[in-house]
Amino acid sequence: MKTFANTNPQTLEQAVKTIQQAGTKGQTASLVGGGSDLLGLVKEFIIKPDVLVNLKTIKGLDQVTPAAGGVNVGGLITLDSLGRHPLVRSQYTVLAEAAETVATPQIRNVGTLAGNVCQRPWCWYFRNGFPCLKNGGETCFSVIGENRFHAIFGGGPSYIVHPSDTAPALVALDAKFRVVGPSGERMVPAAEFFVLPKQDVAHENVLAADEVLAGVQLPPAGPGRRSTYNKVLDREAWTHAVVSAAVVLDMDNEICRSARIVLGGVAPIPWRLPKVESMLAGQRITPELAAKAGETAVVGAQKLSKNGYKVSMTKALVRRTLLTLTTRA
Amino acid sequence: MSKRKHDISRRQFLEGSGAAFAVATVAPALAGPLSAADLPVTEGVSPGVPSTAIRLVVNGAEHRIEVEDRWTLAELLRDHFGLTGTKIGCDRGECGACTVLLDGKPVYSCSNLAVWADGREVQTVEGLAHDGHLDPLQQAFIEHDGPQCGFCTSGQLMSAKGLLTRNPHPSPHEVQAAMTGNICRCSNYNHYVEAVMAASKNPKTSKRASGHSTASNAAAEVSATKRRRGASTSASTEGGAR
Amino acid sequence: MSLITRKTVGHPTPRIDALERVTGKATYSGDVHLPGMLYARILRSSHAHANIRQIDVSGALALPGVKTVLTHENCTVVWGSGSVSGGRQYIDEIKKTTRQKRYVFNNPVRFFGEPVAAVVATNRHIAEEALRLITVEYETLPHVLDQEDALRPESVKIWPDGNISLNAKNEAEPEVYRRGNVEEGFRTSEQVFEDRYTTTYVHNAQMEPRVCVASWEGDKLTLYTPTQGTSNCRHDMARDLGIPDEKVRVICKYMGGGFGNKNQNQDADLIAAMLAKEVGAPVKLELTRKEDFIGVHGRWPTTQYYKVGVNRDGVLQALQLRGYSGMGPYRKNSGAIGGVELYQCPNVESVVYPVYTNRAVSGNYRAPEFPQGFFGIQSMMDDVAYKMKMDPVEFVLKNMTRKSNDDVPYSNYTLEDCIRRGAEAFEWKKRWHAPGADTGPIKRGAGMSFMTIRSPLGQSSAVIRLDSNGRYTVFVGVTDIGAGAKTTMSMIAAEELDVPLSSIDLVWGDTDRCPFSVGESGSRTTDMTGGAVIEAARDLKKQIAEKGLPKGENALIASASPNPTSDGKVRKAFGAHFVEVEVDTELGRVRVLKYVAVHDSGRIINPLTAASQIKGGATQGIGMALHEDLFYDRRSGQPLTAGYYGARVMTHLDAPEIEVIFIESDDGYGPFGAKCIGEAGIVHAVAGVGNAIFNAIGHRMKDLPISRDRILGVLA
Repeated sequence: MKTFANTNPQTLEQAVKTIQQAGTKGQTASLVGGGSDLLGLVKEFIIKPDVLVNLKTIKGLDQVTPAAGGVNVGGLITLDSLGRHPLVRSQYTVLAEAAETVATPQIRNVGTLAGNVCQRPWCWYFRNGFPCLKNGGETCFSVIGENRFHAIFGGGPSYIVHPSDTAPALVALDAKFRVVGPSGERMVPAAEFFVLPKQDVAHENVLAADEVLAGVQLPPAGPGRRSTYNKVLDREAWTHAVVSAAVVLDMDNEICRSARIVLGGVAPIPWRLPKVESMLAGQRITPELAAKAGETAVVGAQKLSKNGYKVSMTKALVRRTLLTLTTRA
Repeated sequence: MSKRKHDISRRQFLEGSGAAFAVATVAPALAGPLSAADLPVTEGVSPGVPSTAIRLVVNGAEHRIEVEDRWTLAELLRDHFGLTGTKIGCDRGECGACTVLLDGKPVYSCSNLAVWADGREVQTVEGLAHDGHLDPLQQAFIEHDGPQCGFCTSGQLMSAKGLLTRNPHPSPHEVQAAMTGNICRCSNYNHYVEAVMAASKNPKTSKRASGHSTASNAAAEVSATKRRRGASTSASTEGGAR
Repeated sequence: MSLITRKTVGHPTPRIDALERVTGKATYSGDVHLPGMLYARILRSSHAHANIRQIDVSGALALPGVKTVLTHENCTVVWGSGSVSGGRQYIDEIKKTTRQKRYVFNNPVRFFGEPVAAVVATNRHIAEEALRLITVEYETLPHVLDQEDALRPESVKIWPDGNISLNAKNEAEPEVYRRGNVEEGFRTSEQVFEDRYTTTYVHNAQMEPRVCVASWEGDKLTLYTPTQGTSNCRHDMARDLGIPDEKVRVICKYMGGGFGNKNQNQDADLIAAMLAKEVGAPVKLELTRKEDFIGVHGRWPTTQYYKVGVNRDGVLQALQLRGYSGMGPYRKNSGAIGGVELYQCPNVESVVYPVYTNRAVSGNYRAPEFPQGFFGIQSMMDDVAYKMKMDPVEFVLKNMTRKSNDDVPYSNYTLEDCIRRGAEAFEWKKRWHAPGADTGPIKRGAGMSFMTIRSPLGQSSAVIRLDSNGRYTVFVGVTDIGAGAKTTMSMIAAEELDVPLSSIDLVWGDTDRCPFSVGESGSRTTDMTGGAVIEAARDLKKQIAEKGLPKGENALIASASPNPTSDGKVRKAFGAHFVEVEVDTELGRVRVLKYVAVHDSGRIINPLTAASQIKGGATQGIGMALHEDLFYDRRSGQPLTAGYYGARVMTHLDAPEIEVIFIESDDGYGPFGAKCIGEAGIVHAVAGVGNAIFNAIGHRMKDLPISRDRILGVLA
């Protein structure tokens, strides 16, 4: 293992300061939640931190607190706790379901919400240390290489897919992200938190090096809300989404008042489907409409040489998830 | 890059019968006999490497120890506490062989740093048996032939232990889901699930831990500060079955 | 033949070392810690094919704590079993004639991940850091990854003699088997079918990554290493290092699986031994999981072309296989493609080319040449059955082998029993239907497969000692790769000696204490070492009869090294698998709903551990069918999916319930009639799954793995 120093800040301010101090000494600092993904990257020398900023020692960052009709969720809550939390399960089911599909129990027992949202890509070129765009190089190897798991939307110049399960759920819930940095705190709407490669190829989100995702704010969930997270894996467990769908419907009896549909596994960011959402607004979701939603979901998809199957998979997944949700009691 | 060819070693390892060690000129100082300064540092932290003093409880016994920040929990348990029951299968959190209980929850000890275990409780497979009695899970694993090669077994046990503590009466599917983070390449999955189901139905049965082994079943307690210098961990005992 | 009930053999018996395994007391090679032990790591090539122009290790040597470094510049030791001519052992005769040697450190490097240097240091972190301070200047060469591409004239020659692997006689010739005249057979066939099937590289992925500890005392080497055969490992170490056998001691008390990649010795063993000699201290060499995937070996990928001729009743007239096996750049094992032996057919031709490629080396993985070939040929035949409008079971019963190569009788024959029993238990008639017949996106289907596999007799050894306390100590060179050999040998001894199992002690896994064992591979331990145990037991009984039981300090010692034969008959285990799957045709997901495995492995010595073997093998086969691959970035020749996550190894949630039915028999050979079982579960599992998927979706999947993207691709 690379040599590094672990620091245990007691407050977010201390955490931010530690990062800054490392910077002034010409050192790199990495934030650590659960650490599973981080250690994997360090062991492969994909990232080479000199200092670890262990956020687990900051008290109070892992709570689920009702607030203003909605809920604040601390960024350091473990995925296991998040998935089991009664309030989250009942009112923000999509988030609970997303949390419990991540990896395995052992990872969920330490992995955090913030860590999952900020997870680096699982593209095999990136993780095998190829000199790709995400590793500071000049090319995306997937384009003329092995790309069966890569993006069909939003790709270019890098074609990674965002690996998080909770991220699409949070975007679908219109969450706001609480970002803490040297100049204090700011709230970033989930949909603006993630960046496409064409905006900033080196990062997947807007966090600066000295900022921490401290928590998320979930708006109130109305009485007619139903939500679910549907994940397609290419094994029965552990792997990241081949394609996934986070769907939130606000129902008025049989009518869908409004919908939020966000896909995982298809784009470098959680991929919202606004055209499908408007198509469903005010409608009864029949099998025909659900099928049409599926078709619309893939309009504009751009296949690479080996990932074309994701198009039909996405179509089917959107259609099925809508129907499951509307027929669910 | 220097063009000069460096003496990698003056000992030449050559192909051919008997010649492998024939050319044995005086080995340079670097490869000379070990001096006290060269003793392997698994005995303690290396100078100049960031380290932290921590306190943790392992299998019910408290330890205070200085750990290098870069040590994983698996490394601390295996190399410094001599608790080699926890295995390293991949060191990447992709197989589960290193599963231990951290504050009662199954985690990959290879994917957690030792320094993060400060103030916490760890239970390893060595801590499952109590007062010479096997845990019902261990007994069930024996009776239902859970282990084939046995390398994943410690991890499977700890995941199962974590499950039954939280959910004493799981369904077979719940067992599979709870243990899906533990790979068994021998693929003895059916038998593991059977064993866990059996243990969940017979929580009180646990035979005295004697039988075929000379090995002790007491909870392992190794004080890191008194780690036996260079003691082999039963490397030379014969595999005698009694 | 009905089997007499025996006292010990045949009863489900927990492993005699289960207690160690469930309490964490079992000492595997990586758990060994010796006084003054140092740590080693290997630097591996970052190119698929390249000349090493220069290696500069000065940076590594200058790092405090680093003791020494080995490279090709100061080590020209040949790793004899790393590449053997024609898949044969590196014996003196081969040494003299072979034109293709594999050194421990090779230049040029011929696959991404070839060892380039080895470092030893005071701890593993320093050793790892030292690797990163070694600079290597490569001159890259073109590379070729696919076994068919490698035979094109424009592909780079990996060896001067070209890319067809040389056999023991230095000929670039395929492995050929013929009987009859296939051209004539095709001419007289009513229908002739042709098709192509491919299988991919699957890594053994055993849970214990390669690790070894080497320690010298004077001129004697002690090696703690996971090996399936301590005797073979010892001999190979001695041969490669140029020292006598008795100067090497190999110890392996527990090992975490291997499935064939822990036979003989490995380059890691040699490296650890040489480093330990150099620094005068014990050295532990640990491979990472990625290194194990790339640097040890896995199952050879194949391309198979079949041509099959049948008469109008669907009876085989001619069967032809032209096959290509991708061996990596070194010929570690045979590269054969099994399968033609499964069928009765007057005209057969099998021509298989073992081909060099610049990929990870291929070698033995559980039934090395069978799952690939059985998938290809049984998918092909299943397709022929479909086109001939025959029930697959009916086709198999008509065409399955009844005599070995249609010529030599089997020692007994239960293949038809296995198939009929399985069909009944599985309710074949209920579950099998016209392919793709289910309406709706979720489609079910049923498929079957069958197998014969060699169950040879041969030489092994055993020693049994009886002391005055009535304790029988059995010395056998097994290491117990996971199949439970310790328990099986103990049970066989107890049965033959007619004493309780609790009177038996076993000494194993140490070449200083144990006699020769053939090694736990090829499913031979029960047959061969078990046979030796029986002979030793008989010798002991004779001694007891002659001399009486020992008293006081005296002991009786019996040994045996038999080399039995099956009197010219061919001994095989038989089996049939029946699989029902459900395919989600919109999401490409395959689930196994029902799996019935019927096996004749002769008399089952220990039903408890035997069932584990079948379940384990079948589950590995499902993984090979649906998920596993080590695939490469073509441009760089670098593997992308090395590791458990990338290879998509089966997990608890992936594993279905496997129902095992044993048809016991006693052909008069083997210990109490036992036949091989270790490999029996996997060989036809892949084919069964493939055939079930065909029945479900009506499309033949001809390339492994049958992953989601491929299913969706074929249905698009």
